[in-house]
Amino acid sequence: MKYAWTVPGTNSPLSTSVRRVDGPLKTSGAAKYTYDILRPGMLYGRAVRSPHPHAKIVSIDLSAAQRAPGVKAVAIWKDPGSEVMYHGDMVAAVAADTEERALDAARLVEVRYEVLPHFSREATSMAVDATQVFASGNTRAGQLQEVGDLEVGFKNAAHVHEATYSTQVITHVCLESHGAVCEWNGDNLTAWVSTQGVHATRQQLARALMVPESSVRVICEYMGGGFGAKVSADAPIVLAARLAKDAGAPVRMMLDRKEEHLDSGNRPSAFSKIRAGVSADGQLTAFDGTTWGTGGAGQSAGFPLPYIYQFPNRRRSHTDVYINAGNQRPMRAPGHPQGCFATEVLMDELADLVKMDPLAFRLKNLPPQASNAMWGEYYRVGAQRFGWDKRHPTGDTTPGPIKTGMGLSANQWGGGGRAGNAHVDIMTDGSVVVKCGTQDLGTGTRTLLPIIAADMLGLPVNAVRGEIGDTNLPFAGVSGGSTATAGIAPAIRIASGLARDALFARVAPTLGVDPSTLVASDGRIFAKNDPSKALTWKAACKLLGSEPISVDGKWEPGLSSVNSSGVQFAEVQVDIETGIVKVLRVLALQDCGLVIDRLTAESQVYGGVISSINYALFEDRLLDRNTGQMVNPNMEQYLLASMSDVPQVEVMLMDQPARGVIGIGEPPTVPTASAITNAVRNATGATIRSLPLHPHRVLEALTQAGMGGTSA
Amino acid sequence: MKAFAYVNPTNEQEALAALKAGGIVRPIGGGQDLLARMKDYLDQPDRLVNVKSALDGLVTPTSNGGLRIGAAVKLVDLAGDPRVTKLYPAVATAAGKVGSPQIRHQGTVGGNLNQRPRCWYFRQEEFVCFKKGGNHCFAVDGENQYHSIFGNDGPSKIVHPSSLAVPFVAYGASFRVVGPDGEREVPAADYFTLPTMQTVQKENVLGDDELLTHVILPAPGAVKSGHYEVRFKESRDWPMAFATVVLVMNGASVGSARVVLGAVAPIPWRSENAERALTGKLLNAQTASEAAAAAVEGARALSGNAYKVEITKTAVKRALLQAAGITGV
Repeated sequence: MKYAWTVPGTNSPLSTSVRRVDGPLKTSGAAKYTYDILRPGMLYGRAVRSPHPHAKIVSIDLSAAQRAPGVKAVAIWKDPGSEVMYHGDMVAAVAADTEERALDAARLVEVRYEVLPHFSREATSMAVDATQVFASGNTRAGQLQEVGDLEVGFKNAAHVHEATYSTQVITHVCLESHGAVCEWNGDNLTAWVSTQGVHATRQQLARALMVPESSVRVICEYMGGGFGAKVSADAPIVLAARLAKDAGAPVRMMLDRKEEHLDSGNRPSAFSKIRAGVSADGQLTAFDGTTWGTGGAGQSAGFPLPYIYQFPNRRRSHTDVYINAGNQRPMRAPGHPQGCFATEVLMDELADLVKMDPLAFRLKNLPPQASNAMWGEYYRVGAQRFGWDKRHPTGDTTPGPIKTGMGLSANQWGGGGRAGNAHVDIMTDGSVVVKCGTQDLGTGTRTLLPIIAADMLGLPVNAVRGEIGDTNLPFAGVSGGSTATAGIAPAIRIASGLARDALFARVAPTLGVDPSTLVASDGRIFAKNDPSKALTWKAACKLLGSEPISVDGKWEPGLSSVNSSGVQFAEVQVDIETGIVKVLRVLALQDCGLVIDRLTAESQVYGGVISSINYALFEDRLLDRNTGQMVNPNMEQYLLASMSDVPQVEVMLMDQPARGVIGIGEPPTVPTASAITNAVRNATGATIRSLPLHPHRVLEALTQAGMGGTSA
Repeated sequence: MKAFAYVNPTNEQEALAALKAGGIVRPIGGGQDLLARMKDYLDQPDRLVNVKSALDGLVTPTSNGGLRIGAAVKLVDLAGDPRVTKLYPAVATAAGKVGSPQIRHQGTVGGNLNQRPRCWYFRQEEFVCFKKGGNHCFAVDGENQYHSIFGNDGPSKIVHPSSLAVPFVAYGASFRVVGPDGEREVPAADYFTLPTMQTVQKENVLGDDELLTHVILPAPGAVKSGHYEVRFKESRDWPMAFATVVLVMNGASVGSARVVLGAVAPIPWRSENAERALTGKLLNAQTASEAAAAAVEGARALSGNAYKVEITKTAVKRALLQAAGITGV
């Protein structure tokens, strides 16, 4: 590998903490998000959505909406005769000269519905005598997974434990909602889209509109979060383009918070009925799991189980259950938080059965250690750092209503990523531009471009400009599944290396040396063996005359890896008289191979941990059990941590530079909720097998455990 | 959103006149509730009467040692007023915990007292409940974990949303109301109304042509008070249950007590059971627990909010311990 990563030198920005290059733009408001795009003559699109969880559209009368003040175009998304499958399912859209008028007009679209039976709960939809609501059936059984001999496994068990674990549906709650601004120029479409994949969106948008991909340009300079929910050209984007075409004017169509909750994706629920066996000396022997969950009105709800720990004999069957609710979309580590929760809470219960410390119990049952499976070592390092030795056995016996406890949990993620191209220009005045058609969800991707190029070219980060977020730039894949950095970083490094070598070739004759002896460092180019033969970067570039260096790089194997591991520790405080759980601190150890920007890598972990605290305590997409309508589609009653609810979070990046780049988007959000739940169990002795840890659930578990309630 | 007129009266009389313009007219203070309702198509007024300049925005001492709080006083100012903090600490605590700093800088005393319920069924257009002229309370057999455990035999199962109403009732405040027929003073305890089929669309006695202008707090005298809110989230959230206690001391024992519960009933809920349990008793951890248990006697949980009985008990106990200056129990 010609451009293998080298151990970062003292003057290299690689693996250091570099502030986001666009931080000042974002904090000052200069950065323009899709929501900020204002085009001349722009109209505003708003959707007409089903108030019913399941109904047949009998007729749609657009006339009143078309006559409403300011309305320029109306488009039908679902034709009469078709069915709406959930509260918030899109039916039509209106474009008007102000957003308020568009909203008013959308309410004038008269849709007549024939209301049909619906299900708002997994249990009722999957009941044997349930009415069939979904064309292909209310459930879909998955493949049975079997390893080893279950009978032998249970025979070898000294203890057999049986319980059901469950996690709730949560939504992505991106701060910037979904949507687009679409503008036609003849047959060419420019679409500013809040998207995790400009190139993928172009492809899908072109197909939906039946226009050549070459006629569509998608731009996403800045965005306020995606978390997996913005990987496709969904209805609002396609409708914005259609409305813009019909109205002959640009259209901005962005969802509001309610629409975000109802119809822009979610993390499926997960229920796991598990029977597990453990030997007297703490060896896992058997796992028998029956699982189900809902991804909404026809989407899957799969998740990995058991998670990480080794059950030599195991069986698992899974069923997707459909209910009349918004469909799932990938959400930060799809499936892993669910599988992690069931397994990690089970692990603590099994550890108690064999009277082992949860840490020792886990160490005994981990897969063999490898560079991508470092749980054992991370658990030991983390335990030391966290003060695990101060953990009391299950149940805090100190007097008073406030109990504290500790818990731990692990994660794994595949990641990888190969879809990356980059272009580097070294201009004749010495300025440098790196171009890559990736996008920055807010994770810091933009900042990686100048870091990687500056490291290769021996320049400071601010000497390199990065351009991203545009299909006019070289192709890069979707920023999803923790694949963005591992996909683009190798391409940028290779393009930068090729550009540097091209520059070396051009300046070597002047210096009278062989190009292979040249080094770029500290803003200079010089011969390795004779540093007197040198040029400043600027002087070197001046030698380019009128022809800049302009080269492309493409992802190659050897600079990035797949699969990473991590562990987390949590300490909580439980008020047994109110059921309120407060997270006191979290320690996260995470491998992401070679760190490019320490600051943004750590930020990814902070964000993941905070998300998972929300999953553990607060978030819950609540559907009214009778009407099937969501009762909390806002940010008031759909609870999310405020800053005052966020504990001290410590991040330990477990650098493995030899592995190359590995994404870190998903794994940090996997284990926190499980570690918190185990900490609550350690604090109180009450086992809670369902999320979120709402006070009512905690008090219920405390009552069952014979503690809690207001003391006399 | 329906287009509306916006008027800026500069005194009470102009404001009252502006309320009589016909159509749907709403007074607007900080707008933290009303604007959201308008955007959600829950309320579509023809005219807004901005009362921020028309109504008193000051806290003024009264001649008998109490305080008179203008309806236009902002929550942030109420929470930080040293006279309020000294004389009526429960009021200051309650005001300082409302919403978020942004909401407290915008929201007013009058707005806090007169805001509409936060019930999630009421807050969404899809649910046409009793309060919106429908014939159903969706909470009865629906998602009712945040609904009432007291006073819930009427048609609506809401809890009153105002944090300030509870300490005001506990301190024996009265509200000055002006209307076309002049002014009246309504005891805070009588201002809020339990829903009946006839009154279910309102939460208080204020007429559409009236304005609440002042809260008048009597001199507190030799009282001990406590205020405890059980909050799941530390900020930007509603308390799940809370209590204000105001105890008139007779030496070391309680001469008389006011125990008022919040977020548990459609009105600030005065617990005479708890008050009786305290009267004549020494104030200590044991009597606090006994009064807390008495406070939730007669609570009637709905299908999903039995836990609120427990946390209400805790709120009462902790408010009393706070009043007694007992910590660490």
